Amino acid sequence: MFKYILLIGKNLRRNLLRTTLTALGTMVLVFVVTLVWSVLDLLDGVMAEKSSNLKAIVTERWQIPSQMPFAYALSLGEGAARSPGDVRPQDSMTWQFFGGALAPGVRSREDLVFAFAMEPKKLATMMDDLDNLPADLARELQENIRKMESNRQALLVGPKKLAQIHKQVGQRIKLYSINYREINLEFEIVGLLPPGRYKETAVMNRDYLNAALDNYPRTHAGKKHPMAAKSLNLVWLRVPDREQFSRVADQIANSPLYGDPAVKCETASSGIASFLEAYRDLIWGLRWLLSPAILVTLSLVISNAISISVRERRPEMAVLKVLGFRPTQLLILVLGEALGIGILAGLASAGTTYFVVNQWLGGVSFPIAFFPVFFIPVSAFWWGLGIGAVTALAGSIMPAWSARTVNVADVFSKVT
Amino acid sequence: MSVSTSMFSHQHVSPPLALAWRLPPELTIPLGIALAVLVLLVIVGKIPLSYNVRNLAVRWRTTVLTALAFTLVISLQTVMLGFVAGMNKLTDESGQPGNVMVLSDGALDELVSNLGFSETADVDRHPGVVRDQQGEPLASREVYLVVNQPVSGTAGRQQRRFVQVRGIEDPVVAARVHGLELYPGGAWFSDAGVQSQNGSSGEAEQEQAVQAVLGEGVAGQLGNDRGQERLEVGDVFDLGPRKWIVVGIMKSAGSTFGSEIWGKRSLVGPMFGKEAYSSIVLRTRDAAAARSVADDLTTNYKKAALQAQPETEYFSKLSETNRQFTVAIVFVAIVMAIGGVFGVMNTMFAAISGRTQDIGMLRILGFARWQILVSFFLESLVISLVGGLLGCAVGFMADGWTATSIVSGGQGGGGKFVVLELVIGAETLLAGLLLALAMGAIGGVLPAIAAMRLKPLESLR
Repeated sequence: MFKYILLIGKNLRRNLLRTTLTALGTMVLVFVVTLVWSVLDLLDGVMAEKSSNLKAIVTERWQIPSQMPFAYALSLGEGAARSPGDVRPQDSMTWQFFGGALAPGVRSREDLVFAFAMEPKKLATMMDDLDNLPADLARELQENIRKMESNRQALLVGPKKLAQIHKQVGQRIKLYSINYREINLEFEIVGLLPPGRYKETAVMNRDYLNAALDNYPRTHAGKKHPMAAKSLNLVWLRVPDREQFSRVADQIANSPLYGDPAVKCETASSGIASFLEAYRDLIWGLRWLLSPAILVTLSLVISNAISISVRERRPEMAVLKVLGFRPTQLLILVLGEALGIGILAGLASAGTTYFVVNQWLGGVSFPIAFFPVFFIPVSAFWWGLGIGAVTALAGSIMPAWSARTVNVADVFSKVT
Repeated sequence: MSVSTSMFSHQHVSPPLALAWRLPPELTIPLGIALAVLVLLVIVGKIPLSYNVRNLAVRWRTTVLTALAFTLVISLQTVMLGFVAGMNKLTDESGQPGNVMVLSDGALDELVSNLGFSETADVDRHPGVVRDQQGEPLASREVYLVVNQPVSGTAGRQQRRFVQVRGIEDPVVAARVHGLELYPGGAWFSDAGVQSQNGSSGEAEQEQAVQAVLGEGVAGQLGNDRGQERLEVGDVFDLGPRKWIVVGIMKSAGSTFGSEIWGKRSLVGPMFGKEAYSSIVLRTRDAAAARSVADDLTTNYKKAALQAQPETEYFSKLSETNRQFTVAIVFVAIVMAIGGVFGVMNTMFAAISGRTQDIGMLRILGFARWQILVSFFLESLVISLVGGLLGCAVGFMADGWTATSIVSGGQGGGGKFVVLELVIGAETLLAGLLLALAMGAIGGVLPAIAAMRLKPLESLR
């Protein structure tokens, strides 16, 4: 067996140029598939229904963007529990969106900041990906939460957004609102959000926004702000399992408190799946058109290289047969060479993609839904190995069969 | 995904190719140069092209495998670019050059715009606004909403789609302002905006359905839910808390209005809690007048803070997603092309290795080194051209397929959920052909140089 592997290795080294070109072709194409599958993997993951530790979203029933009165916040945070036997969520979080420009009238990406207005302490317990940070980042986040709790004007900004607006931690900025007319707020940038998912957003203390809305009538002849009764966008609830979720959802649906506007409660995965419905065809194309086409292209590249190799080595195959190699052994030899290239190149490509994208680039941007960046999952190593192996096998079956059926007499009759 | 709900939900008859062939110089010039170089090489090359073609025929398996790889890469690129071209068509053609779109100050999209009724009562009295025969301004006051519509989900999960609803005060005026017509057999909604489901009016409110005029795209989308090609006049569907009845289908292919449901503003707004206008669209004489009116309203209108802009400008700002998709597609196409280049290199190196003695013989016969280079370079280009042309042909079959997507202006821009048609125009096909030739040239040049450097006597040994 070991000698067999050695023979495969030697054969691959004999035409290093061809081996290298095939391996490079494989690596490049596996790279694309890895990127595409990483996007699909994340989307599948967020849309998959969990059975425990569920997050539910409460939003306006009919309309997007969801705009509910902030008066809903307290009771929704309790899961609309009214009676002693009612279920209460384990945790909850409110989201209000505040968008502002650094100067009046400017609308370029570099001048716009979008912030989640929320309770600072919920950053560490309810925000996806922030509840399982490495120890150093978690410490930094806790420190920033303390700053936000003590200073209503504090703002945490994602590192990419901070670079985009050419500001630094410690600086003060004024945001001219684009969704709360005439609510222009001054902030002090007190820290950074952890890199990754939130790198292009910001987080502010919800009390600051709500105080500004409350103060609006004082400067506007007692008239309420047009958005005063529409400032609550989402309420997140954490429930332990599906049974508890159903009960909370029923409590909210049957509560008389939420009539105008009506609200709906759904699992986070269900809500995200609804939003991704708009991208249905794009996702379908990535999954069933782009990925298979790349895999077939890769098989063709490998098949071509192995075919050439087998054709050039027909006399050698005949000699091996004369020396006692059985046809199946020749078939395995050729398949082994293809698998060797495919698996090694696939693994190398997936590994390189994993480290370059995750460590060096900080994720890859793809304009789908509200996901700012996509990371390569660890399972990409398996994908690389699998893609390399399967495409190599598919591409080399015909050439390997051709090697197996080499006719010794035919070959030697042509050798002069 | 079933055919009816997938990207390939239906095909339409393409318009005459000639109409779609507006060739941009950034593509025609490089392609012209590439083809000129190709012809020049054929002319100056002393080794007959038939020698290469015969060799390709002899090694037909390798030739076919290599060309197939080109075909796949180019056809994929063509389909992907066709998708973006469809999105671009929507954002380019939805706006009327003479229209002004008035939003509330600060709103990046009509979805988040709020224009109070009284504050904007005389916006359409601006002298730049065109008037109809009765002297009424051509202005459409509209409320724009995105509504959740439950659809059948997977594994018992309730799923929703987002449907765009536009509440209109006067549909006839709105149609004139937006340049839209109805298909025969349809009608605009009535002043009441409701009718009974069997068509007779005067029924009690709770038994009445909201009259709806549908864009072609959304009519198809809703029709697919019940196995029809599209909803037709008289069909009833659920949206929000009410039943809706189709009274007309708009000729709206190629515009974002194709993905909208229009109904009476006084019903639609309150139904979904929006008691203000989202936008006011004003018709002016021409594009220059639109710019002037927009600037004047933004600067000088005092009753409310407005943000007015030519409608074409508003829609062009919705092309941020298109740009991002284009970048992603070009990236994927280039990376795939690099993979293809390695494939063609393999083929050409193998061709040279198999024809070393041929090369030696050609050199002995007096053919210069550069003529050997030209010959092998041409061979690579021929494979790429054949594969590229096939790829373009395969990709062209996607012309007219429909797909859902979003067009938006990026962060906070709101965006519109659209049903679009893939547009495989001349630009897309030329881009595919150029990429194929570039792949052939890059993949062929190194092997051709290697062939050129072979020494005649050593080759013959």
